[in-house]
Amino acid sequence: MDKQQEFVLRTIEERGVKFVRLWFTDVSGTLKNVALAPAEVEGAFAEGLGVDGSSVEGLTRVYEADVLLHPDPTTFQVLPWRGSVDPTARMFCDITTPDGQPASADPRHVLRRVLAKAADMGFTFYTHPEIEFYLFQTNNVDDLVPVDNAGYFDNVPGGTAHDFRRNAVRHLEDLGISVEFSHHEAGPGQNEIDLRYADALTTADNIQTFRTVIKEVAIEQGVYATFMPKPLQQHPGSGMHTHMSLFEGDSNAFFDPSAPYNLSKTARQFMAGILTHAHEITAVTNQFVNSYKRLWGGAEAPSYVTWGHNNTSALLRVPMYKPGKEQSVRIEYRGIDSAANPYLAYALLLAAGLKGIEEGYELPPEAEGDIASMSSLERRAAGYRPLPESLNRALGAMEESELVAETLGEKVFNYVLRNKRREWAAYRSQVTQWELESNLRQL
Amino acid sequence: MSSAPTLSSLARIGFANLSDSRESLMREGFDAEMFAVAASPDRALRWLVRLRDSAPEVMARVLADETWRERLVRVVGISDGIGEFFARRPHDVECLRDAILEPPSAAHYIDDLVGIAAASADPDRDIRAGYRRHLARLIEWDTCTDTPTSRVAPVAAALADLAGAALDAAVVVARSRATYPPNEVAATRLAIIGMGKAGARELNYISDVDVIFVGAGDEAILEPHRALEIATHLAQSATRVLSDSSFEPPLWEIDANLRPEGQKGALVRTVESHVAYYERWAQNWEFQALLKARPLAGDRELGEQYHTAVSPFVWSGSSRAGFVESVQQMRERVTAHIPAAEVDVQIKLGPGGLRDVEFTVQLLQMVHGKDDDSVRVLDTLSAIDRLAAAGYIGRTEASTFSESYRYLRVLEHRVQLAALRRTHLMPRDPEALRVLARASKRGESGESLMAEWNGVKSTVRSLHERLFYRPLLATVAALGDDTLALTTEQAEARLAASGFRDPAGALRHIAALTAGVARRATIQRNLLPVLLHWMTEGTDPDAGLAAFRSISDSLGDTPWYLRMLRDSAGAAQRLSRVVTMSRFVSLLMERVPESVAWLDDDSLLVPKSPAVVDDEILAIIARHENATDAAKALRGIRRRELLRVALASTLDLISIEELGEALTSITIATLRGALALARRDIAGIEFAVIGMGRFGGSELGFSSDTDVMWVFRDVGLGDDAHRAAERIVRLIGEYTEDLRFPLDIDANLRPEGKNGPIVRSLDAYAAYYERWSDTWETQALVRSRPVAGDESLQHDFEAMATGLRYSQPLSAAGLREIRRIKARVETERLPHGEDANRNLKLGRGSLSDVEWLVQVIQLQHGTDVPELRTTSTLRALRAATEAHLISTSDAQALTDAWILASRVRSAITLWSAKSTDTISANPRELEGIARMLAYPPGQGRRFEDDYLRITRRARQVFERLFYPVD
Repeated sequence: MDKQQEFVLRTIEERGVKFVRLWFTDVSGTLKNVALAPAEVEGAFAEGLGVDGSSVEGLTRVYEADVLLHPDPTTFQVLPWRGSVDPTARMFCDITTPDGQPASADPRHVLRRVLAKAADMGFTFYTHPEIEFYLFQTNNVDDLVPVDNAGYFDNVPGGTAHDFRRNAVRHLEDLGISVEFSHHEAGPGQNEIDLRYADALTTADNIQTFRTVIKEVAIEQGVYATFMPKPLQQHPGSGMHTHMSLFEGDSNAFFDPSAPYNLSKTARQFMAGILTHAHEITAVTNQFVNSYKRLWGGAEAPSYVTWGHNNTSALLRVPMYKPGKEQSVRIEYRGIDSAANPYLAYALLLAAGLKGIEEGYELPPEAEGDIASMSSLERRAAGYRPLPESLNRALGAMEESELVAETLGEKVFNYVLRNKRREWAAYRSQVTQWELESNLRQL
Repeated sequence: MSSAPTLSSLARIGFANLSDSRESLMREGFDAEMFAVAASPDRALRWLVRLRDSAPEVMARVLADETWRERLVRVVGISDGIGEFFARRPHDVECLRDAILEPPSAAHYIDDLVGIAAASADPDRDIRAGYRRHLARLIEWDTCTDTPTSRVAPVAAALADLAGAALDAAVVVARSRATYPPNEVAATRLAIIGMGKAGARELNYISDVDVIFVGAGDEAILEPHRALEIATHLAQSATRVLSDSSFEPPLWEIDANLRPEGQKGALVRTVESHVAYYERWAQNWEFQALLKARPLAGDRELGEQYHTAVSPFVWSGSSRAGFVESVQQMRERVTAHIPAAEVDVQIKLGPGGLRDVEFTVQLLQMVHGKDDDSVRVLDTLSAIDRLAAAGYIGRTEASTFSESYRYLRVLEHRVQLAALRRTHLMPRDPEALRVLARASKRGESGESLMAEWNGVKSTVRSLHERLFYRPLLATVAALGDDTLALTTEQAEARLAASGFRDPAGALRHIAALTAGVARRATIQRNLLPVLLHWMTEGTDPDAGLAAFRSISDSLGDTPWYLRMLRDSAGAAQRLSRVVTMSRFVSLLMERVPESVAWLDDDSLLVPKSPAVVDDEILAIIARHENATDAAKALRGIRRRELLRVALASTLDLISIEELGEALTSITIATLRGALALARRDIAGIEFAVIGMGRFGGSELGFSSDTDVMWVFRDVGLGDDAHRAAERIVRLIGEYTEDLRFPLDIDANLRPEGKNGPIVRSLDAYAAYYERWSDTWETQALVRSRPVAGDESLQHDFEAMATGLRYSQPLSAAGLREIRRIKARVETERLPHGEDANRNLKLGRGSLSDVEWLVQVIQLQHGTDVPELRTTSTLRALRAATEAHLISTSDAQALTDAWILASRVRSAITLWSAKSTDTISANPRELEGIARMLAYPPGQGRRFEDDYLRITRRARQVFERLFYPVD
C-alpha cells in the first residue's frame, strides 16, 4: 500500500465516508460508477475491482466479461454535494484486463496512447474547453421551459439562477477545478463555463467531473441541466469550443514571432491536419443524430471546413494575439459539441494535428467574411468543403479513415461504428412531428 | 646508446612492426627492452617519440626516471586516448611521476576536482584535464598487475567515484555561473542520483553516465516551482561543463533518460514528484532500474532522501502484476538488437555476454530480495557473493560466475582503453587482438584469446540455467553432488517468476522426471535445468513440462532417445519449444513418440513427398490381408505425417501455402489408401473422389473439413452399381475414422446438398447440372479437382466440370444470385451473438469474403483468361491481377487478409488442439496464437489489432467490388 492509498484510507476513516464511488467512462462518453463500502477500498487498491465488462458499453464483449477497475488514489475527492449526512467520495479508475494490460476500449487509454505519441515527438498537448449547456425547469420533453427567458443571467433577480451559479462554482472548486462562469447571450437558459487550460487528459477528466457536478447542482436547485447538442430548435445549440496548443517543454510550439498571426509552421501544419481529417473525425466530435441539428442549425455553428483569424464562422479559429502573450497563442476548434466523449474527441483532434505535422500538410488559405452567408457556389469556388450533414454521412467518412481506426484502435473503432449505425437506424425510422404537421392534412 | 637490436629480439619484446620500430628506436636512441611492459610496444614507442618532440624538457625528466618512464610506457602503450591527452598537455605527464598503491577514495577525487572548479579561470578545461590525470593514474594501477581480473571491482568503483567527483565539480561551476539572484541559487538544492553502472559503482572506462536529477529548495526563500526552475538550469549547465565540445574534449555523455517519463519528462523533479510517479505510472522495468540507484553527486542529504523514498518500490517488484512479462522483455533485451555483423564479437550483449550475467543476477535479486534484505546490494559482484552466502546459488557456481564476469569486464575495459571510446566489440584485426591479449595479461596470441573468450561465453550461457533452475531439482531430488537445495517456497517463487502458473505442479513433474537411478533420470537431471529454461521461453511452460514428462515416460530408456537428449542440444531445445507452444503437437507426439527423433534432423521435418507416402500406403495395403488392420496402419501413417507437418509449421519451417499443399497431399494419400481398401472386393464399377472447397484448392489447414464429391461409373455391375458405390463411400468413412484427429469428410457441396444422393454416376451429375443446377453448385465446381480413383473417370469428370465452369461467362442473373446468397450467408451463418469481426471463415474481410470475390471474378472472366482456371485462391488472385481485372493494391489487401486468416486458423488449432473459427479475446489465447505466428513475446494485443485492421481493409475492398453500388 503506498502513501497516497494510505492517505485515502485514513481520510475515509477521518471524514466518516460512507460510500466510495469508482468512476470510469465508457466508449459513448457516459460516466459510469460503482459504489464501494469503505471496507472494500483496500482490496480494490491491492487487486483492482472486478466488474462485469459486458454491462459496460463498448468495453468488452460478453465472452470476455471481466475487467478490473484500478482506482487512482490521486483523484480521491469527497463529493461536495452529498453533504455531511452520508459523505460520499469518488476516484477515477484505470481499466485493465485480468492480465494487467490496459483495456483497449478504455477511452482514457485511447487518449493516453495518442498523448504518448505526441510526447515521442516532443510535444505536450494542452486544451481549454468552453462548455455550453441549457438549464430547464424540468426534464419533461413535451414542455421544455428554460429557467430564464430574460436574456442575461444577471438580470434575473434572486432565485434559482444565483444559487445555481454560486453552488456550481463552489462545488467545482472543492473538487479542484477552477472555472470561469458566463452566461451565454444567445439562448434563454443557456450557460457557458470555461475550464482552465490543462493537459488534455486532465481536461477530459475534468469535463467528466464537470458534467456530473452541473447535473447534481441542478437537481439540488430543482432544475434540470442538459448537454444535449441542440435541445431547442429556435435557439443555438451547445458547443464545446476547444482551444488547443502544443508545447515543447516550456515553449509554445505554435508561436513564431515572425510569422503571420504569430502562428509557427508547426501550428499551421497542425491546423492543416485537423482540416484535412475534419470530416473523418466528426462522427466522434459530434456523435449524436442531434449533433447535426446544431452543426447545420445556423447561428455561429461552423458547418464548413475552414479556418480564419478571429472569424467566428470558421471551423478553426485563430484567436487574436495579444503582444507578450506568446504562451497563449493557440487555435480553437469550434465543431465539437458538449455531448462528445472528451477522451476520444481530443485523441482524434490531436492525432489529426500530429498527422499534419508528420506529413507536412499545407494549410489552405484563410477564409474571409461570413462563410454561412455565402452562396453554395461561392463556397465551392473557394474550396470550403462542408462537414458531414448527418450522423450517417459522418459514419461513412469515418469508416474509410485509417487515421481514426489507428487512433481509436480497431476495437473501439468497430464499436463506435456499430453503435452509431444503430442510432442512425433508430432515428431514420421515426415519423416526426414536423412531417405530420407538414404532410398529414395536406396529403 | 644501445646497439641495433635484432628483429627477432624486437618480436620477442612484443613489437609487431619490426623494421620501422627498429629504425625509430635507433634514431631516438631508446632501449627496446623498456617497451616490453607495454601492451603495444609499437604504440608506446610512437607516443614517446611524439611527446619528446613536443616537450623535450619534461620528457628528459621522465626518461631519466626509470619507474616514471615505465609507468608512462604502460599507460600510452595501452591507450591512444591517454597518449592524445598527453600530446595536448605534455606537462600533465607529471601525474605519473608517482604511483598510486590503490585507487583513491571518493572524497579525495571530490576534493581535488571541486578545488580545481573553485580556483580555475577555465573550469571546463581544467576539470576535464584533472579528471583525465586521475584516469591516467588509475589506468597505470590497473595495468601494473598480472591478474587484472582481481582489480576489476576496485577500478570500476573508482571510475564511478571519479565520475561523481567530476559531476560535483560541474555543479560548483554551474552554481557560480547561474544568472539567478545569488540567494536564490544558494537556496536551491540539486542532487544527482547515479543509475545503472554509475549507481552500482561498477562503471566502465568509457560509457554513458546514467543519472537522475532531484531538486528542492528552501521554502522560506523560494517558491517550489522557482526552485525547480533554478535546479533545472543548474543541471543543464553542469551537464554542459562536462559534455560540451571544446579543445579539451568532453568526458562522456550524461544520460538522464531513465528519469520518470524518459526524454519527455521534466529533467529535474522533487522527491515527492518522483514518488508520485513511481506510485502511479511507472513500468516494471523502471523499478528494476531503481535497483541500481545511489546518490552520486550534488546534495547528498537530498540524494539520501530520494533513495530512502524510492527503494521500497524496487523490492515489491516481483509481486507486481506483469512481472513475468517484464522479465521476459528484459531477457529479450539481452539477446535482441545485436546487429548481425557484431554477433561474434559482442562482449556485452548476446548469449554469454555481460548482460547475460547481469540479467541472471538481477533476476535472482528481485525474486529473493523481496523477503531477504541481505541480497539487496547494488553491484553485480557483491550481489553474486551475497546470493551465494544466503544459499540461493551454489558456491562453486558463484565463483565461476564471478570469475567469468570479471574476465569479460577486463576485456571490455581493455577494448575501451585503446581509443578511450565507448565500445563493447572484440577487435577483428589480428594485431589489435594480439595487443588485447597482452593488455589483458592472457598471453601473446589473439587466436587463443578468442578461443578462451568463447569458452567463457559458453560457461556463462549455461550458468543461467545452472544457477536458476538446477537448485530447483535439488529441492525435489537427490542430485548426489553439492548443489544446494532451495526450500519448496523458494523453488516455487523461482518457477513462478519464470512463467509457470502452477509451480507446485511443475515441481511434481520435475520430481518425477528426476527420480530414481535409471539412466534416463540421470540424463534428465543434467538436462532439465536447460530444458526448463527453454520451456519458459514458450507460451505454456506448464503444459509443455507435462507433455515432456509424458513423452519421456513412453520412450523410457530407448537408447536413441537418451543419446539424442544428451548429445543434441538443438533437438532438445526444439522439443522444449514445440511442447510449450503447441498442444496439438504435444497430443500427437504423445501418440507418436518416435517423432522426437525427427527434431534432430531438418530433412525429417520437411513434408514427405506425396509419392513416397503413396508408395508406403500401397505397400501396407498389400501387406495386410485384414482390412481393419490395414486401415489402422493407414490412420497411423496419417497421424505421423500430420505431426510432421505440425512440427514444421510450429517451428516456422514452412509457409502457409506449403502447409496447405502438404496437408492436402496427406489427405489425398489417405483417401487413396482407403479407397483401395474399400474396393478390394468390388469390381464392375469405376469410382473417383473429387476434392472440393479448400481441399480442391490445396489449401487445407489443420482444422479444415475435407470437402468432397463422390462419383462412379458402371462398367458392368448394372443395377447394383449405385449400391456398390454407396458401400465404397461408407467403407472409406469407416477406414479413415479418427476421433481425435478427424478427417471430417464432408460431401455437402454436392448437388442438392444434404438432400441429394450421397454419390452419383457421372451421367447423373451431367444430367443434373444440365437441367437443374443452381448457381452456387456451379460456383462450388470452380474449386473441384479429382484427387483419387480411376483415371479415366477422373478425367471425364474434370472435362464435364470445365465445361460447366468456364463455357460461358457468369450471367447477370447468376451474379445477382451469388451476391444474394453471400449476403444471406453473412447474416445467417454466423453463430448467434458472435462478433463478426473475429470469425476467421465467415467474418468481416476473412476467408469467405476473399474466396467469394475471387470465384466471381473466375466465373466472369475464366472463359477468356485461361490462367484464372485454377482451384487455388491465391493463384486465381495473381492471375486476375496480371489480367488487370483487379488493381494491385486491392489484390494485396485481399491476399494479406486471406493469408493471415488462414495462418491464424492453423495457429489456433496448433496452439489449443481445438478447432474453432473464432479468435478468442482471452489474453492468454491471443498470446499463444501470436507466438505461433512468430510475434515476439507480449504482443497478443498487437496481433489482435493487426488482424482486425487487415481484415477491415479487405472488407472495404470486398464491399466495393462484390456489392458495387451502381
